Amino acid sequence: MAREFQRGHKAKISDLTAGTDLYVGVQIGAPGLTFDISCFGLDANEQLSDDRYFVFFNQPKSPEESIQILGAQAGDTESFRITLDRIPQQIQKLSFTATLDGAGQMSQVGPGYLRIVAGGEEVARYAFDGSEFTTERAVMLGDFYLKDVWRFAAVGQGFDGGLDALLKNFGGEVAEEEPAAAPQPQSGGAPGFAPPPGGAAPAPSFGAPAAEPAPAPSFGAPAQPAPAPAPAPAPAPVAQPPHGFAPPPGGATPPQAPAPPNVHGAPTIAAPLAPAPGQAPPMPPGYGQPGQPAPAPQQPQFGQVPGQTQPGQAPPPGYGQPPQAGFPGQPGAPSPYGQPQGVPQGVPQGGGPGGVAVALQKYREVPTGQRWTQQNEQLVRVDLGADGSPVLARQGSMVLYQGKVDFSYKGAGFAGRIVGNATGQEMQLMRCTGRGQVFLAENEAHLHPIELQGDAICVSAENVLAYDESLQHEVRRIEGHGIPGGALFTMQFQGTGTVIVKTKGTPVVLPVTPTTFADANSIVAWSAASQVIISSQVRLRRQAFPGHSGETVNLQFRGAPGNFIVVQPYEI
Amino acid sequence: MNQLAGFAPTPVAARMENHGRSMVKIAMQSGQDLFARTGSMVAYEGFVQYEPNPPAVRQIAGQWITGEGTPLMKASGDGMLYLADYGADVVVINLNGEALSVNGTNLLAFDASLQWGVERVKGLAKFAGQGLWNVKVSGQGWVALTSRGAPIVVDCGSGEDETYVDPDALVAWSPNLKVKGKRSFKASSMIGRGSGEAYQMAFSGQGIVVVQPSEDSTDRLRIRS
Repeated sequence: MAREFQRGHKAKISDLTAGTDLYVGVQIGAPGLTFDISCFGLDANEQLSDDRYFVFFNQPKSPEESIQILGAQAGDTESFRITLDRIPQQIQKLSFTATLDGAGQMSQVGPGYLRIVAGGEEVARYAFDGSEFTTERAVMLGDFYLKDVWRFAAVGQGFDGGLDALLKNFGGEVAEEEPAAAPQPQSGGAPGFAPPPGGAAPAPSFGAPAAEPAPAPSFGAPAQPAPAPAPAPAPAPVAQPPHGFAPPPGGATPPQAPAPPNVHGAPTIAAPLAPAPGQAPPMPPGYGQPGQPAPAPQQPQFGQVPGQTQPGQAPPPGYGQPPQAGFPGQPGAPSPYGQPQGVPQGVPQGGGPGGVAVALQKYREVPTGQRWTQQNEQLVRVDLGADGSPVLARQGSMVLYQGKVDFSYKGAGFAGRIVGNATGQEMQLMRCTGRGQVFLAENEAHLHPIELQGDAICVSAENVLAYDESLQHEVRRIEGHGIPGGALFTMQFQGTGTVIVKTKGTPVVLPVTPTTFADANSIVAWSAASQVIISSQVRLRRQAFPGHSGETVNLQFRGAPGNFIVVQPYEI
Repeated sequence: MNQLAGFAPTPVAARMENHGRSMVKIAMQSGQDLFARTGSMVAYEGFVQYEPNPPAVRQIAGQWITGEGTPLMKASGDGMLYLADYGADVVVINLNGEALSVNGTNLLAFDASLQWGVERVKGLAKFAGQGLWNVKVSGQGWVALTSRGAPIVVDCGSGEDETYVDPDALVAWSPNLKVKGKRSFKASSMIGRGSGEAYQMAFSGQGIVVVQPSEDSTDRLRIRS
């Protein structure tokens, strides 16, 4: 089952799936608006240091194809394929963003989601809607980030600027002359952003460790170009630009830190310059110093977490990724569906928790005290005896029962049989009486309990699985010209109780508008207050099969707002 | 082609794993043979061999075998094996020393190292048309079951309350449960009109019953000749 994420939730990807070949789908939409959905591959400093890792409609994949954009499919507005174990080491974070193209604001978006699919199953879903946003023009939906291992965080953070501002925030436009120019867009773009670029946006959701700020103040003041290695383990030799590596307190110690010396010529202020993660970086004294390569990118936007990996250094133990594939210089063609698994080495035998009960846990019956309980899409349980009134169910639909339940033939009565035979709206029913629980299902059909409280619903008889005997039902006739049998019939249920409607496949529930039409063969149910009009269009079907008259009957529905129709993806 | 991303198999983490709802992925290794329903293989990678009429099955399940040959084949070798049964949901279980009785048509595969035996469900065979065979498996290893629709697991509870199951919807149960057939005949239903639920199986004791939301018990893997 997919895990439902809320804004701010995060999880290890390994907890979601064992796979590393992931499909990420984003659905976002609003009437009349279009969105650009893109994926930023960021380095340890939250910067787009390599604009080949900005994957969007114009750049469909990263050099080693670990990040690919796939386009709209399967209900997703945009989708990506992410091969985690091929992502080069300098990419520490993938940020999935949606930006508005044209006018509009984020509060207009309808319900959307970001989901992760692996191994043929949806493993995570973060749903959002416009109520979470206001006037923003862009939103960071979710992040994959590397903190020992790859993790996923549902961010859901709005962003005032559009794509340009987002790019600037990530230092994208200036990627080429990054060392010198990176600070500029950083500070220049700041006012335009809703969240301060200092990482306020992501910080709360990532829980930046508060350990970082400590060394900063003592350090920012002197603004020495080359701080002596003496004070604190933190800042000293770290300066080397590309990694905003703040030695974690207690974690890496100075001996480990001095990576390549002096890559960009001048020594710089070390990473923890920002007073605190989550504040806009004020210009510290040392900021404007000439020859100071890239202080900005180094601020610990994400909270330099202990163990954060950095290029050039041994990956932390949790990383565990064999460096076989996917370095920028090596565009080696990846096999289209991930590495063939080939012969597994050492088949795990009996790993993990075992036992029948564990394996079947997710199929357990759900306990509730209600009369009708939906167990899963295809099964409902009815508790008889709570109020003593019997249930009528289609014959043969009982799959299991507990307790003392009697099943008896329910005849329609003489008049009922005549009507039933004549109209096709007859049901082979059984009456379930007694005390106990009865599980009802039929042929994997999807079941939908509909509770009526004095209102009425029309259901075609073959779509009724069961109903409370307390409901009144009658056969209703819909007249119209051009219907093969002269008229259409349907069952109308009325009163207080529950009807279980079954559909083949996932149905669609449409509100009744001035122009609502449905195929008479696919319609399952509609609220009885809506008026049905036959609008049969006699036309020859191109693939009319023998015996088929070639006509189709469309039903048009009219009614006050609040009425609905239910249509199944199957034509009987 | 990239549209198929997300459907690539996940790395092996266990002997049997679900790939989506209705496919099981089995990591095969020589020495760890597998019994699978004949005709259930949909794909395999590596070097896997199949033996359609394994003598072991003839010995253990001689009576289950009809003219069509054995319902089980033996797979052996190294590689990945993918099994499915016409889109039915697949449930994989690591038995870990426990035991389970599985309806013959709902059994997809199991480790050959398990103890297993076939028996005709007592009291019922004469009513249910095609005969209800169940396979009892126990020991250390994995079993894959199929279920038409998402199954439901019901605790039988204890005491005198019996749990009654439509034999066509039955998937598996704990072997320590007491089973008996029940004909729900009443005077009124004798006159040609049944409730449609004429025969049930009654379970009592401590254990679980697994039921599928469909009375379609046709053995699809068997229809092909």
